[in-house]
Amino acid sequence: MQRDGVIAKYAIGGAVGAAFYLEPASTVDIDIFVMLPSPTGSQLLSLAKIYDYLQARGYKTKAEYVVIGGWPVQFLPASTQVELEALNYAVEADAEGVKTWIMTAEHLVAICLQTGRAKDYARIVQFFEQKAVDAERFHELLERHGLEDKWESFERRYFL
Amino acid sequence: MNEESRKALRQMSFTEKIRILERLRDRSLMIASFGLRRDAKNQNASKPPAKSEQE
Repeated sequence: MQRDGVIAKYAIGGAVGAAFYLEPASTVDIDIFVMLPSPTGSQLLSLAKIYDYLQARGYKTKAEYVVIGGWPVQFLPASTQVELEALNYAVEADAEGVKTWIMTAEHLVAICLQTGRAKDYARIVQFFEQKAVDAERFHELLERHGLEDKWESFERRYFL
Repeated sequence: MNEESRKALRQMSFTEKIRILERLRDRSLMIASFGLRRDAKNQNASKPPAKSEQE
C-alpha cells in the first residue's frame, strides 16, 4: 500500500501493538494508524482508497474493518500530534517473516492517556507494572505534547 | 500465573505473541458466538408456539 501511494506511513497500535512489549492480552481486532498521502484532502476519501485498494485485492470488509489473515483490521488516520509522531518513531518488527512497524511503548501509553477509556488506563498500568516504558523518553514525550497535567492526574488516581 | 511464566510470555518473539493473540481471539469469538446462539435459543423457547404448532 505504501509502494502504491495509498498510505504514506503506518504503525500498529492498540492491543496488538502493546503485545510487542507486554504479555499478549485478548483482543479481536488490529488497529493500524496511517498517515495519509494527501493531508489537504478529506480523510474519509483517503480512507475509502485504502478499503477500495484492499477490496480490489480480494479482502473482505466487515463494518469498519477489513479482514486480513483472519483479523478484522481497522485503519485509523493519525490525527493528533502524538499519533503523527508515533508513526515517525515507530520501530520495525518481524511478524511471521513480514516486516512491520509498531508504535513505541511510550507513544502507545501516551495515546492511551489521551483516549482515556477504562481499558486504556488498564493498559497503561500494565505497561508500568511490566516495566516496559522508558521513563525519561516518556516524560519528554509528555512535555512535548503538553500532557503533563493529564499524566499527574492519572498518577494520582492509579499509582498513589 | 507466576512471575517467571509472565516474564517468558513478555520475552517471546512478536511472531509467537501473534500466534497466542490469534488463539485468544478465536476463543473470544467462539464464546461470543456461543452466547448469541444460546440467547437465540432461549428467545425461541420463550416464544409462544406458532399457530400451526398449536393445531
